[in-house]
Order: sequence, then structure tokens, then C-alpha cells
Amino acid sequence: MRPSRPVAVGFLAAALAIAAPGGLASEPKTHRHEALAAATAPPGDSLYQLPISLQSADGKTFKITDLRGEPLVITMFYSHCSSVCPLLTAQLQRLIGQLPRAQQQRIHVLMVSFDPTRDTPEALRHFEAEHHIQGANWIVARASVSDVRALAAALGIQYRELPDHTFNHSAIISVTDREGTVRARTSELTGSDEAFVQALRTQIGTTPPRR
Amino acid sequence: MLLALGGAAGLSAAERAPVPGADFVSVLPSGTQAPAVHVGSFAMDRQPVTNAQYLAFVLEHPQWRRDRIAKLIADGDYLSHWAAADRLGESVQPDQPVTRVSWFAARAYCEAHGGRLPDWQEWELVAAADEQHADARHDPDWQAKILDWYGRPASEPLANVGLGAANYYGIQDLHGLVWEWVEDFNALIVSGDSREQGDPDRLKFCGAGALSLKDRENYAVLMRIAFLSSLEARSTAHSLGFRCASGRDP
Repeated sequence: MRPSRPVAVGFLAAALAIAAPGGLASEPKTHRHEALAAATAPPGDSLYQLPISLQSADGKTFKITDLRGEPLVITMFYSHCSSVCPLLTAQLQRLIGQLPRAQQQRIHVLMVSFDPTRDTPEALRHFEAEHHIQGANWIVARASVSDVRALAAALGIQYRELPDHTFNHSAIISVTDREGTVRARTSELTGSDEAFVQALRTQIGTTPPRR
Repeated sequence: MLLALGGAAGLSAAERAPVPGADFVSVLPSGTQAPAVHVGSFAMDRQPVTNAQYLAFVLEHPQWRRDRIAKLIADGDYLSHWAAADRLGESVQPDQPVTRVSWFAARAYCEAHGGRLPDWQEWELVAAADEQHADARHDPDWQAKILDWYGRPASEPLANVGLGAANYYGIQDLHGLVWEWVEDFNALIVSGDSREQGDPDRLKFCGAGALSLKDRENYAVLMRIAFLSSLEARSTAHSLGFRCASGRDP
């Protein structure tokens, strides 16, 4: 079990009440932007317009809107993918790795599976271990079939399940600002993408807006 | 039309036609040796959703008014042909199919009416029928008839729903009226051309790569796929509407 997620406690409490009664006591972290996130509606072009529910590898359920307040790097994958997905994960790690360590903690990284049936929390934990994914701000999660379709649609990611339960999908990594508006995307999987890393730095460097 | 008169409360079961499950050869490759895919039984709206029906939905769920919709959810042309956010006006007919609606909006409408958007393969199965046959796709006369629509100028006013002949399933207006959203519009991964070799886009896709479309004869359906695959979830268009489906049995 990894440390708790730095997410807005209000939302989390509601989610936990359904998903994991008694789990609340182990969620001591509050978030410094919590009040801000809860106070106002997200911008019109924000991903946080979508009421998407997620379940992370440690089994906890939360809303994507709980991640509001820090820049978000987001992509979609599935864990038993053997062709492009390992490249996608490696590229994500490479992009994040180009940031100073302290800055790496100032973003959320979210990988959402296309395959809620096979990517159970246990399978996602296995995926995390296999790819040495650690840190409370790096979240590997699944969502309902309907929410997966909506999130992919919002991110411009195409995917299709084939009869053998592999997925044909586009590999796109997006970075949003603190309010969830996508500021840059990359589908570069092997080389570096300096423009994307620069966009990431810019988002981290941006002072949270005052309200 | 019948639908508009009783339409405000939404579609009753009688307005959705049952479609029995079938093994169906889609223009999309199945990804296996078997040429056919199994489409489970479901029900589909007999007609596309109309302006009057969508207006009733907007009045009941004001977050879907054009003046309240978020940019992520629909583009700036969402319902822009209506006279006002809560009124169709003189130049918009209640029984015309509603258009200029995004995928998110179409989806929300169907959910509010006990349904969902049809999947592409469900839509394709139903749209393969003529009046007498479940699968008329290899009939050249039928092909010519549906292709005719694509040649007409897009600026013509849209006809009312329900004027097209009911097909084998009792479902109307699949061809010749509007493009229609499907739930998995973003599953229709089509490359500019379907060559396997030297495709620069290939690495962008995990798995079997972009679709290599199988049935080039069925040009009208291929155009649907090309159109849908070009859209974003927030896109709207003058001749892009939708209908709902419900149920999904093995």
C-alpha cells in the first residue's frame, strides 16, 4: 500500500464512504489548494468538467476533480499491452525525469486504463511494480467503461477493443494547468519532446491563481 | 409527426425498435480470422432525435442550454441554429432532426431517456437493411440510392424525421437525412490510407495498427466512418444528429 494521495479531502471522503468504509482515518493529508478547488467551478475547457470516477491501484476511489490544484500529466494505457504501452510508460517517466526532483512532486501523473475488466487494482499494482512506478503523486487507475470512453474522448485519444482483448489505441500524453485545461500534448514515444517538457515546466512554475 | 406531438416526455418503448442479435460482417476488420462479429440484441430509436425532443431535454436540464454549456463539452456552434437557448424560433422545425449537438450532449440526452448511444457496429448492422432485407449491402440499386444523399448540397434544409421508409427493423432515416453520433466514435481509428507498409502513423497506435477497411464497395458506410473519425467529442455540425439505443444482450 502506498501513501495516501494528495487529493481534496472533501471529495475523497464522499468517495471513501461508498468504496472503503473506515478508510478515511488513513487519509490525513490535506491539500493546499483544497479550498480553492472546492470553491469555484472549473474553467469551461477544463477536464474537470467531466464527472469521472476512478479507482487507483490501492483500491481507493476518487473523482478526477480531486486532482485539481496541481498540473496534471495524463495518459491512457492498459497493463497487458506488449507493444506500444511499455514505450508510453517509459516516455512518461523520461519526460517527468527531465524535471528537478522537487518539481516532480509538484505535479500529478495519472495513467488511466482502457480495460477496467482486466486492470483490477491488483493488476494495476503489479503494473506499478513492474515499471517501478512510485510516489504518492503518480496514480495508476481504472474507470467504468463509460467513463473511459468519455475521458478518452476529451483527451482526443482513440481506442478500440479487439476480440482478443488487446486494445488498438493512440498514445497521447497531455499536460494540463492547475485548473485542468490541456496546455500541451505529445504523441512522441521514443525521442524527447522539448516543447512538451517546456510546457510542463511552465505549468509547474505558474503561481496558482488567486481568487 | 407523431414523435413531436408526444415527444416532450421522451421516447417510449414503442418508439424504440427491437433488433435481434446477429452475426454481422462489419466493414471494420474483426481482428480475428472470423469474418463476422456478433452483435447482441438491443433496441434502437425508430427515428433520429428531433429539435422538439431535444428542446424538452434542455428545458428540463438547463445545464445543457447553449448559453451554459462548457467549452470542453460542446463547441461554439452548439445549437446555434436555434433562435434562443430555450426556443427553436420560426426557421427551425420541431420535427427536424436536432443537429449541432456534441457527442457529450447526445450521450447525456440518451442517458436521460433510459438509453445510450448505439455502438458503431449496432448502427452499421441496422443501416445495412433495406425495406425487405436485413442485409442489402450488396444490392447495387440500394447502394446507388443511399449514395445519392451524399451528393446533395449540405446547405439544403433538413427534412423532418420519419419521412424515410421504415427498414427491415422498422427503423427510419438511417440514410439520407443526417450523420449520426455513435458511442464509440473514437474507436474508429482510420489511417489516411490503409497500407500496412511505411505508414508514419503506425507507431502512434498500440496493437493492430490503424484500421484497414475491408469492404471498399460500401462507400457510403466508409464515408460515415471517415466523418465520425474526424470528429472531436465537442464537435457539432449542421447535419450531425443522433438517435439512442438501449439494452445489450449477448
